[in-house]
Amino acid sequence: MTNAYRWVQWNRHKRVYDLWVAGSCAAFLAVFVGVTMATHRPPNDVSPPIILIRAFGVLAIALLHVILLIGPLSRFTDRLAPLLYNRRHLGVTMFLAALAHGALSILFYGGFGVRDPVSAMLRTPGSFASVSGFPFEILGFVALLILFVMAATSHDFWLANLGPRLWKSLHMLVYAAYGLVVMHVALGALQSEPAPVYAWLLGGGVAAVAVAHLAAGLKERRRDASPARALSGWIEVKRARQLEDGAGLVVVCPGGERVAVFRDGDAFSAMSNVCAHQAGPLGEGRIIDGCVTCPWHGYQYDPASGQSPPPHTEKIPTYELRVEGDRLMLSLEARAPGTPIEPARFGGRSAS
Amino acid sequence: MDVIGIGLLAVGGYAAIGAVFAAVFLARGVGAIDPAARNSPGRVRLLWAPGVVALWPVMWSRWRSVRKGARS
Repeated sequence: MTNAYRWVQWNRHKRVYDLWVAGSCAAFLAVFVGVTMATHRPPNDVSPPIILIRAFGVLAIALLHVILLIGPLSRFTDRLAPLLYNRRHLGVTMFLAALAHGALSILFYGGFGVRDPVSAMLRTPGSFASVSGFPFEILGFVALLILFVMAATSHDFWLANLGPRLWKSLHMLVYAAYGLVVMHVALGALQSEPAPVYAWLLGGGVAAVAVAHLAAGLKERRRDASPARALSGWIEVKRARQLEDGAGLVVVCPGGERVAVFRDGDAFSAMSNVCAHQAGPLGEGRIIDGCVTCPWHGYQYDPASGQSPPPHTEKIPTYELRVEGDRLMLSLEARAPGTPIEPARFGGRSAS
Repeated sequence: MDVIGIGLLAVGGYAAIGAVFAAVFLARGVGAIDPAARNSPGRVRLLWAPGVVALWPVMWSRWRSVRKGARS
């Protein structure tokens, strides 16, 4: 958060997460290399550098699919929250795997000639008019450049200095990189691979990404299409009494504004649904250690005031709640960011 | 020179200018555009270096507007 920049904002959860990611990647590489060597005996053996190139390439594309699927799927289940949290580190890991794949390919295929390796690699004979002879290396190279820019600007410094809109636009380029990677594999590795299983895997991955994004988009659209009805500047928070302790829900106001309502014991509080960090959906987060915690990167806010705990300085708008009989009502008027508001309670009774 | 040669030359030239700019910017300019970066240790600045190389025109523009604002 905006106090002083640190190299990596590790906490216990992020360290465990990173250890899991590193361990899983190492295990994946070891299994891939082992299985490839076991199944490619002479005279059909594959040289070790090529096995490593393939292993890093498959790891990178598998991680890219995981990264692209976490966001939309987490709209349907809370179980993916641990993966969504700290997704940036997963993105940097994916870039490092892609970089290893690219660097090994450039050195192995372009490093033995008179030309410089990058130039030699990109000038591999081929034709843009041919599917089997398409110079797919160029697609991978451009994708790697995009992934580099994204990994290089993943630190909080960049979000603060580029601004959320430019930063987000830049990072939406992941979809362009994904398209290039899919074409790189389809026009490259799949052309020399006789077994159809790899084509099915790639096709299945593309279909899964497309379907998950469509389904999440439709869900959001349905929620936005049925905003709560306002009565004198107040709207009812439906399902408030069914809310689990520590959980949140998103209320769509008549103007389209989204407000996150949280339950902490028998107290209900409301704040903007938009995290001050990267506009993450706060209402899909939970109350952890007494603070509303963003599901994307763990930014925290006091539920009653919308302020990050000291020494952090982020503030978001808060909203007034009041109880009318059995109903929880939300004011449509946003208070200035960081304004403390007394939580609402159901007449001193437990809400459930 | 073919298209690939021109493309690689453009990328290389852009990165070379970016590397020179990054060295100056991270030593003198980063604290001007972002007060929170003033006391950042060297390894944090090193982490920003690849991004400055990639986006040097943006950072150059930010630095220039801050300097212009400070003068006026």
